[in-house]
Amino acid sequence: MKLSWLFGPTMAQRHLLFAYLVVWGIQGGYAAWVAWQWWRTKPQGQ
Amino acid sequence: MDRSRLLKSVAVAWFLLTLGAIVYATRLALVDAPTDALQGNIFRIFFYHVPHSMLSLVWPYVNLAASAGFLFWRRRDPLRALTADAVAIASAEVTLVYATICLATGMLWGRVEWGIWWTWDYRLTSMLVLWLLFVSYLMLRALSSTGQTKTLAAVLSIFAGIDVPIVYMSIRWWRTQHPGPVFFSSDPDAGVDKSYYPAWIANIVAWAMWGLLLMAMRYALERRRQQREQDAALKAIEDSLEFTR
Repeated sequence: MKLSWLFGPTMAQRHLLFAYLVVWGIQGGYAAWVAWQWWRTKPQGQ
Repeated sequence: MDRSRLLKSVAVAWFLLTLGAIVYATRLALVDAPTDALQGNIFRIFFYHVPHSMLSLVWPYVNLAASAGFLFWRRRDPLRALTADAVAIASAEVTLVYATICLATGMLWGRVEWGIWWTWDYRLTSMLVLWLLFVSYLMLRALSSTGQTKTLAAVLSIFAGIDVPIVYMSIRWWRTQHPGPVFFSSDPDAGVDKSYYPAWIANIVAWAMWGLLLMAMRYALERRRQQREQDAALKAIEDSLEFTR
């Protein structure tokens, strides 16, 4: 699998990479925040 | 098997299935889908932009249905209203996540293809209004401390529900800079080549599964918070009774 075209100096390559980072960053960040809040919010009595 | 263990098993199975679907869809989008003859590889942004845009017009209706449920049950059955409210906040946050990705990936594509980050076109503006409505919804819930916060938020979600069809129809009703409809179009020349279908469909399904997973996680968190608030309120009442004796 060659993905070298994803990393390059042109604006199109940079923006495509940024778009993937935006998707994974926001989705992963939100999921991590919810998981962290879940872990912090212990049920009463624990 | 008790209910809690069964739910945990279903959640873990759904999580693994979703991760598998996302990996498969990413492979289709990055490797298997052919490069677009006119746009080149920047076209691959659409495999993320379109599913997130479509789903950010679906989740507001989960929010609207839950908000309507809250308004209906808040006096008749307060416990059921709390359940509806937990679904409402979970779907509002997930909508904001999807709408943010839709706007950000669209701007990154627009800068390359149009030479501009933004234009006040009907589709972009109505989508920005939807995004702002959900930012307002969540800010209202986070910052307001009146007893009417949940009711006010439920009313706000009705405005978001009204904006969704405007966003969807904007590229049909008005001539816009945004590309015309790709799916469900009456124009025989519209759409994309069939070789792209597997990547489109896989990404729409995978990100829908992920959205449902996020919503379920956030719903469970909200229910736990509500339970803690109820327990704390009960304890405060018991302590005050203890004090007056």
